Amino acid sequence: MQQVFSFAADYTRYVLKGGPKFYAWMGFLGLFILGMLYVFYLQNTEGLIVTGMTSQIHDGLYFANLVFLVGVAAGAVTIVFPAYVYHHEGMHKVTVLGEMLAISAVIMVTMFVFAHMGRPDRLWHMIPLIGIYNFPHSMLGWDVMVLTGYLILNAICGFYYLWVKYTGGEVNKKWFMPLVYVSIVWALSIHTVTAFLIATMPARPMWFHSMMPIRFIATAFAAGPCLIILAFLIIRNNTKFWVEDSAIGLLTTIVTWCLGIALFLTMSEVVVELYARTEHANGLYYLMFGLHGLTKLVPWFWGAIVLMVGAFVLFLIPNFRNNMQLLPIPCLMAFAGIWIEKGMGLIVPGFIPTPIGEVTEYYPSLVEVLMTLGIWAFGFFILTILLKGAIGILQGEIKYAAAK
Amino acid sequence: MKKLAIYTVALALCGSALYTAFAADQPTDPAKVAAAAAEPAKEKEPLVCFEGRKGATEITQRDLKPGWPNVKCSPTTSAALWYGDPYEGTVPMGKMPQLENLPEGHAVVRPRSEKLNLLAMCGTACHNGVGPKANPPTLPKDKKPIPIPTMEAMYPDSKDFQHGRGRIWCLDCHHTTQRNKLVDHFGDPISFDQPQLLCGKCHGDKLRDWRDGIHGKRIGDFTTGGKKRWFVCTECHNPHNVQDGARNRGFAQLQPEPSPQLPRGMKDAKHEKVHPIPH
Amino acid sequence: MLGPARSRFMEDHTVTPNETPSASAGQEPSCTCPTPPASANPAAAVPKTTRRDFLKTGGMLSLSSLIGTAALMTQSDDANAAIEWAEHFQKNYRLMTDKEKDESRARLEKRYSAEYGKEVKVDTTGPQPGMLMGYALNIRKCIGCRRCVHACVAENNQSRGAKPGEKIEWIQVLRMERGKFEKEKMDHGYPEGLGIQVGGNAYTPSGQVLEGEYHYQPEAVPEKDATYMPIACMQCEKPPCVKVCPVRTTYREADGPVVIDYNWCIGCRMCMGACPYWARRFNVANPVLPKEEMNPVTHYLGNRPRMRGVVEKCHWCLQRTRHNRYPACVEVCPVGARKFGNLLDPESEVSKILERKNVFRLKAELNTFPKFFYFYD
Repeated sequence: MQQVFSFAADYTRYVLKGGPKFYAWMGFLGLFILGMLYVFYLQNTEGLIVTGMTSQIHDGLYFANLVFLVGVAAGAVTIVFPAYVYHHEGMHKVTVLGEMLAISAVIMVTMFVFAHMGRPDRLWHMIPLIGIYNFPHSMLGWDVMVLTGYLILNAICGFYYLWVKYTGGEVNKKWFMPLVYVSIVWALSIHTVTAFLIATMPARPMWFHSMMPIRFIATAFAAGPCLIILAFLIIRNNTKFWVEDSAIGLLTTIVTWCLGIALFLTMSEVVVELYARTEHANGLYYLMFGLHGLTKLVPWFWGAIVLMVGAFVLFLIPNFRNNMQLLPIPCLMAFAGIWIEKGMGLIVPGFIPTPIGEVTEYYPSLVEVLMTLGIWAFGFFILTILLKGAIGILQGEIKYAAAK
Repeated sequence: MKKLAIYTVALALCGSALYTAFAADQPTDPAKVAAAAAEPAKEKEPLVCFEGRKGATEITQRDLKPGWPNVKCSPTTSAALWYGDPYEGTVPMGKMPQLENLPEGHAVVRPRSEKLNLLAMCGTACHNGVGPKANPPTLPKDKKPIPIPTMEAMYPDSKDFQHGRGRIWCLDCHHTTQRNKLVDHFGDPISFDQPQLLCGKCHGDKLRDWRDGIHGKRIGDFTTGGKKRWFVCTECHNPHNVQDGARNRGFAQLQPEPSPQLPRGMKDAKHEKVHPIPH
Repeated sequence: MLGPARSRFMEDHTVTPNETPSASAGQEPSCTCPTPPASANPAAAVPKTTRRDFLKTGGMLSLSSLIGTAALMTQSDDANAAIEWAEHFQKNYRLMTDKEKDESRARLEKRYSAEYGKEVKVDTTGPQPGMLMGYALNIRKCIGCRRCVHACVAENNQSRGAKPGEKIEWIQVLRMERGKFEKEKMDHGYPEGLGIQVGGNAYTPSGQVLEGEYHYQPEAVPEKDATYMPIACMQCEKPPCVKVCPVRTTYREADGPVVIDYNWCIGCRMCMGACPYWARRFNVANPVLPKEEMNPVTHYLGNRPRMRGVVEKCHWCLQRTRHNRYPACVEVCPVGARKFGNLLDPESEVSKILERKNVFRLKAELNTFPKFFYFYD
């Protein structure tokens, strides 16, 4: 028990201490978090009228970010899988960092859920026993279940590993390894279920096809590792922790081919939908060219295509992908491209036109932008703390006193 | 000469009476529309809303109890939009073939003759069957269409009578001697409150649908045998000009209620006129 | 379920024309609240800061909401706040015992009566055995006058504010252009690159199924070149919205309508995404419902005033139809296009329509099995 207290104390003390750069970064994030608190207050007093959402387009920026971040969370498996299944040395060293990223991403997802809901104060209605949990009928029920499970799995795996490092003991493989394998499959499940969430609605033809889950997984395994690569490069440049080139190299390969698959799937969808150009293609048509003369999303779609194709080409050039100075460029491009394509470019046109043909447009309000920035800031806040603590332990800077 | 003078006076009297009666039945009357629209502003005058078609039946708004009006009227078109009491101003429908099974008083109508109350004079003042023999205005020899300047002056629609496209004439529907009545196939009178008995003479399929609640409208208790107010034919259709030229279905045109609110992000609804697939 | 008070309520609706049809006849006034309504806006009376802040900081949201409302409770003497507090913890309507339903109903009646300055009744009458409600609409008759839309608003206490999103209507009337073929368009084809006409469309409009106008505003309807298609909740036998609801707040009642327990809805809007008929509306703001326009005869699952952040939709005027009265839209349709009745009764008008007319259901291919039928004469 004493070990637990000292772990908590040491960990907290370590993550709270830092240089001016650290405090400046955290303060910067803190500003956005304050903004988010204010707009959350607004949303829950005025209602969602302060956002851009309407009865026609009732899922917007929040839902888009939610979907995207589930993908980022699932993306952590691109580290865990090679590390434990292929025993990749470089990856093994940084597995726990991937798990920390997954934890932060799931927390952000949860916050986007709260931001999205009309009545967050009634969330307890979903808790089994005191509320009603419509399981197994409701896909949202499944989603909540797999996300919570994923959060718990990653917290256990990650912090148990750190705990072992902290106390200087050995990992108990008897239950740790099965848990790791479960978490690998589970990572796929969270994004699959998120895809099912919207793909199981015949009312929305743009989403109603079985390609959705694989497309989600492909984009997730491109966007997630992109963020991880960026984080690794920052860690390498700002801490004493050295992430192996081989780990980054493997992640780059994964990103490249998942991005390629994602582009291929996008192309397939475009061909299939636009060749026949049925009424069900209206959503995609609106996204690509506009509908009834309304074209707000068109630049976003083509922007995303340019970013993704550009990133894919750059990733294919060895000089680019092996150059750690230039690597962030395609990573950022791919990340931004997928964020658009999977977020605004997938969720919003799903509602245009409405199932009975009304065409309206959506653009996020300032409140939504502030909320989104705030939640991302909060996510980075958590991520910074988690990564700092994890690196401290991996570096041996936090250690149980008795083990010294 | 004296006779002529009496005729003229009698005609003029009938004419003015008839004109008032028929004018109330005119489908559109701009003055009345304007008056109805101006009413909410005045507050003091009672709000009158029309039910089906304009000019057929009206209800005056009043509070049945505080906060519970008998009817709510549209501020835009002054159409009746909501019934606090579906049976206001109704009377039993009277005998209807094949509706005998309905419990007593469970089929009610708003009397039409009340709306056309000056018609009572038609049957007594002029068309009473006892007019002068030389040139009787009341008893034509047959039902053949002939121009009747007096009637045309009182009721312009009869000049270009639309219903039946020239194949029927006044006395196919109106009773020869009792002008405040309609007429059935046997020459027996039908009340103006039961026009369905008249219309059903030709439009049997419609009568059948109406009897079963498929055609026309009933309000009140929806269960079989429940008390309903039945809307009769002439509450919705203008019997003299059923198709009403400009409209494309069975009803006179009327002003629509306001369109829905534009959702956030939309400045206007012009995009609705653009076709999604260009030609 | 039908106590003496209930049946009296029924009679008000159905029998005596000159007596007041309000629900309150013969019942004791339930509003004894001394506090005058602070505001017509239900949420305005509630101090919010603590609750929201708690919400934000807490990780366990459910816990925080408990704390939040507790804080709300301790801070306010307002009777309304106490009622809201109790409302906050009530069960899903379907799981309530009769006693709990009565308590909940009394609470709501008290709060609404105070808020709207008149005696408001909240009905909890359940389905009658042998009743399965059904609807039929004659689309050849509809003239697009939108009276049904506004009758629905007058009856069902929807929000009617001026800001975008504050005005809610459950019925949509779609204006569909009558198509025509034109000589000039005969050789318009897709793609024409090599001079080979693959297809053509001399028809205007392009003929998409639900391509129409919602905001049409001509001088008079019906227009010669248009047909009209009203759409509202289809009260599906297999409702996709019910399936996706994570908290089972929306469900199909035994007599047919799909209803919502507004107090249990978490505002996730999954049902809105799942509905193929766009029948559901979201209260983006605190509903704007002027006191004098508020309809005091309400049903718990029907037209009682809603709150911010919940979904609402057509419920076939449950407060009327549970007492055998026609829905409001049926009663005002000037052309008698709207028909309503008991599908299990072969003599009802809807049964007769199914027996005699050609009917179709909208988007039948989705297997939602609506109880709303369109028909032609």
